[in-house]
Amino acid sequence: MSVGGTPRRIDSEGKVTGVTEYPADRIPPDALVAKVVFTNQAHARLTSLDVRAAEVTPGVVAVFTAPDVPVNVYGLTLPDQPVFVGTSHTGRTDVPCDVSRWEADHLALVVAETAHAADQAAAAIVATWEPLPVLGDIDEAMAPGAPLLHPENGLGHNVYTTYNIRKGDMAAGWAAAAAVVEATYEVPYQEHAYLQPEAGMAYIDDHGRVTVEIAGQWTHEDREQIAHALDLPEDEIRVIYPAIGGAFGGREDTSLQIVLALAAWRLHQRGEHRPVGCVWSREESIVGHHKRHRGRIQARWGADAEGRITAVESEAWLDAGGYNYTSNKVLGNLHLGQGGPYEVPNAQVTSHAVYTNAVPGGAFRGFGGPQSAYVAECQMNKLAEALGLDPVEIRRRNVLRDGSIGITQTPMPDGVTIAQVVEACAAAASTPPPASPSEPFTPFATLGPAAGDLRRGRGFACAFKNVGFSFGFPERCEAEIVLHGAVGDDAPHGADLFHAGADVGQGAHTVFTQMAAEALGLPIERVHGHFSDTAITGDSGSASASRLTWMAGNAILGAAEEADKAWRNGDRPAVGKFRYVPPPTEALDPETGVCTPNFSYGYVAQAVELTVDTGTGHIRVDRVVSTHDVGRAINPDLVVAQIEGGVVQAHGYVLSEDLQVRDARIQTPRLSTYLIPGIGDGPTVIEPLILELADPIGPWGARGMAEMPMMTYAPAVVAALHDATGVWFDAFPLTPSRVLARLNESGRP
Amino acid sequence: MTPFDYQRIPEAAAVPAQLTPTVRPLAGGTDLLTRLKACLDRPDALVDLKASDLGRAIDRVDGGWRLGALVTLSRIQHHPGLRADVPALAEAVSQAATPQLRNRATIAGNLLQRPRCWYFRNERVQCWLAGGEGCPARSGRNEHHAVFDTDGPCVATHPSDPAAALVALGATVTVLDGGGGERELAVADLLVPPTDERRVEHVLAADDVITAVTVPSAPRSTYLKAMDRAVWAFALVGVAAAVSADGEVRLVASGVANTPWRLAGAEAALAGPGLTPEAIDRAAAAATDGAAPLAENGYKLPLLRTLTHRALTAVA
Ligand SMILES: Cc1cc2nc3c(=O)[nH]c(=O)nc-3n(C[C@H](O)[C@H](O)[C@H](O)COP(=O)(O)OP(=O)(O)OC[C@H]3O[C@@H](n4cnc5c(N)ncnc54)[C@H](O)[C@@H]3O)c2cc1C
Ligand code: SF4
Repeated sequence: MSVGGTPRRIDSEGKVTGVTEYPADRIPPDALVAKVVFTNQAHARLTSLDVRAAEVTPGVVAVFTAPDVPVNVYGLTLPDQPVFVGTSHTGRTDVPCDVSRWEADHLALVVAETAHAADQAAAAIVATWEPLPVLGDIDEAMAPGAPLLHPENGLGHNVYTTYNIRKGDMAAGWAAAAAVVEATYEVPYQEHAYLQPEAGMAYIDDHGRVTVEIAGQWTHEDREQIAHALDLPEDEIRVIYPAIGGAFGGREDTSLQIVLALAAWRLHQRGEHRPVGCVWSREESIVGHHKRHRGRIQARWGADAEGRITAVESEAWLDAGGYNYTSNKVLGNLHLGQGGPYEVPNAQVTSHAVYTNAVPGGAFRGFGGPQSAYVAECQMNKLAEALGLDPVEIRRRNVLRDGSIGITQTPMPDGVTIAQVVEACAAAASTPPPASPSEPFTPFATLGPAAGDLRRGRGFACAFKNVGFSFGFPERCEAEIVLHGAVGDDAPHGADLFHAGADVGQGAHTVFTQMAAEALGLPIERVHGHFSDTAITGDSGSASASRLTWMAGNAILGAAEEADKAWRNGDRPAVGKFRYVPPPTEALDPETGVCTPNFSYGYVAQAVELTVDTGTGHIRVDRVVSTHDVGRAINPDLVVAQIEGGVVQAHGYVLSEDLQVRDARIQTPRLSTYLIPGIGDGPTVIEPLILELADPIGPWGARGMAEMPMMTYAPAVVAALHDATGVWFDAFPLTPSRVLARLNESGRP
Repeated sequence: MTPFDYQRIPEAAAVPAQLTPTVRPLAGGTDLLTRLKACLDRPDALVDLKASDLGRAIDRVDGGWRLGALVTLSRIQHHPGLRADVPALAEAVSQAATPQLRNRATIAGNLLQRPRCWYFRNERVQCWLAGGEGCPARSGRNEHHAVFDTDGPCVATHPSDPAAALVALGATVTVLDGGGGERELAVADLLVPPTDERRVEHVLAADDVITAVTVPSAPRSTYLKAMDRAVWAFALVGVAAAVSADGEVRLVASGVANTPWRLAGAEAALAGPGLTPEAIDRAAAAATDGAAPLAENGYKLPLLRTLTHRALTAVA
């Protein structure tokens, strides 16, 4: 059995021995060096740009600017961003390209023989700027009279996407409420901090295709965006992903794809055929790519005396930054989550995305879900407190079940298992952990606590998260299988699998191979995968939305069936191609939000135990029970790895990561000032608890699960901290400084 | 980074005469290289002290220890004699940076490292300390900045943990100058707030080289450090407490001022050598006397009182 087992990862040997090539390793020694010159202007109009001195700097081969780009605009879900800010362009976009709306907007790409020459040339570029008022945050962007960052959209304000939900009768909902809880929550940025900063190279391949080797999350989407900007047919562009050093949503949008392709293409036209490579530093990476959205959510929830939700009124604002990236899609997800995984009879929910001059918000594990789950679960825990109910019991009375009507007024897809997940998590959390954490509270070397300052607490939270693209976004996944054998053979002796899906480190290619082997009845060693190259693989959709195993599995099942037909038909080799399309979804109705938002969900619950040192504000998470319905664990070890990795990433988000942004500029562009958790910081015990309650339409019953560990950690930790101190935290990260300040301000404990 | 020459001079005694404002000494390089990369420093040349015979020994001397300037933090951390006899120093170094950095970082370099204020370290900003005008931290993000002596031009904190321990221990440095002169200087006098004319945190001249650090014994001493994460973070607040050979208790905080900050109010509140629970309570309460926090760092006050309390309890 290949499915349900844990074979050795197909990439393990290369990664352990160092043979595996990541994008920067692929750049040959004779490649030209490219440097992206940022505008370094949060908001300003470019009045002149002179690159003549840069062009004649010794060692410089070319300097590319806006007029070199045929269509000087791009964007994954909304083309609103110039490839280069420039004083002139080819005129084929409505987006004014002479304005820098973000400090990391691109001004030019310098291509040189050496990094030093590229640096010198970058410094020789002369740009003059007319400063414009900087909109540092959503309050400034929404203030009356604020300048419009994207006047081309014709809206007349910076709030550029708004979604609604209007369900039931709010007055009746409040009238039926025995308790009402209300708060304004602030959620912070998060940096992806993948191991591998952005890097890539571009060249013209043997077939004359403009080829980019880079780390991304969706080869075919990268290809589409490059083709759009270069105004070339897609089949003249090729995108290849070598090994990828983490992504987490941070590579969902393009980074160097377009500018590298542009450079190779333009240089080729000038008779220069060397490849062009670029490797960003950590600072360039942190300043130069999007973040998990910061935002504000005002929530007011009511419940009757039995704890049943009677009304949810909630309004959210996400800071989209200077450009949309995927904000309009992230916002949809956040919107859907504002009522939690509950039956909500009456709801008035509104969500907005707001342009500012800060770093763009975009995709990050959970895709808007962690922000709304934090609010929904804090609200639920506050209702439980107000009504004197146990946090598990109040959830039992409210969670969605099979046949439930969701907040967008359509039935949930079959296989709603959150009730079972909540029960399993609560049961596991109420028994002592297998090996009790025997270590004393010593996270800070010599900083032994005074016993009288320690408080312990427990917290609980649950959530759901869509699997696959939502709200009518075109969803599909292709796979191709080629079976090999002689004409008289009963069964094939081997197979090739072609799939574009990105292995960002999560083990996707191992899982694809397992699923193909299972579908074909072949041993896993007989399946040879060919991955993530648009020249040989069909469109897979992205490595995001917890969708890749789910979608690829269904595509592989289809391709295996087609290949089998061809085999029985006598074809040698026998080729099976399949494009899987899941049940359709719909966009939100603009007024009421009525729609079928998703075709599948994953369910999660977490119970947290922690200790807080009230003298210093330090929090130690002693134990997390992270409970997931994964439908079917195709590869149980990889599922556990996703849970453990996700919990630690969530731990950083909630406890230590604190991106400092001032006047729309990132002040902490280094890992010495932006503190991701170290080995000493994570929870003492992480207990992954895996349920396998089949998704009726998942491959082998599997559900997506990779984002789920991120969803509930913030509210579970906040609930435990409240249990320990009696104080609610409506904002995080819970750094010692904030914990201490808030405890002091509330006069507790 | 701008290009520079790399020089090796075998005799340490010959180094000071070679130094100028643009020819600088290089020890472990763990701080200097980050400054070069950020273009905070643009020397014409670096003289690699590691290529010279500058001191690397840890020697027992009358009443304490003498550490060569090139002694690394990890050697101090693992030295049984220092751990037993000057625990405040051993504890401070073992909580500084990471094992890899400690293998490289020297004790002299540690005292002379520059502040971690993120405006100062940001090549896109030129604040007063970096030679420009104005202090963006004062009105900006100052969660990690000073709470004492905040009237000066700069509110960055001194980043060193060992420095606070060494001041509490009453340590001195030996300095050799370009004319061949040698002088002894208390660490407390080496580190001073920057001024308009001298925008660094120490009093050394361009041609001064630290050759050794001398540390008096204090087996009853400790250094406590609060960080944003368990390891590899600079101090939010640190407190060194040391009981000297003649019974005097010295309390010095890190993370609260331009230099290691002597908690004079707390020391006075102890009123006598007996570290009774009541005296410790009084001293902890007085630890923040005279503090003037900025908008975002008021939390440092309760933190400082807590650490002072625990440090005194530890050495009582
Ligand atoms: C990520 C990171 C985290 C860190 N965390 C901490 C921490 O938590 N606590 C802490 O205390 N420190 C911390 N540090 C700082 C580190 O301890 C210092 O960088 C180190 O001690 C400096 O020593 P060095 O030998 O590398 O000095 P260098 O970088 O070589 O030199 C530093 C300065 O001292 C001068 N210099 C060096 N030796 C002499 C000498 N003998 N005479 C005269 N001038 C000299 C140099 O010219 C330079 O200006 C951290 C550093 C990093 C990079
Ligand atoms: S605190 Fe000092 S180093 Fe920081 S910005 Fe102000 S002057 Fe510069």
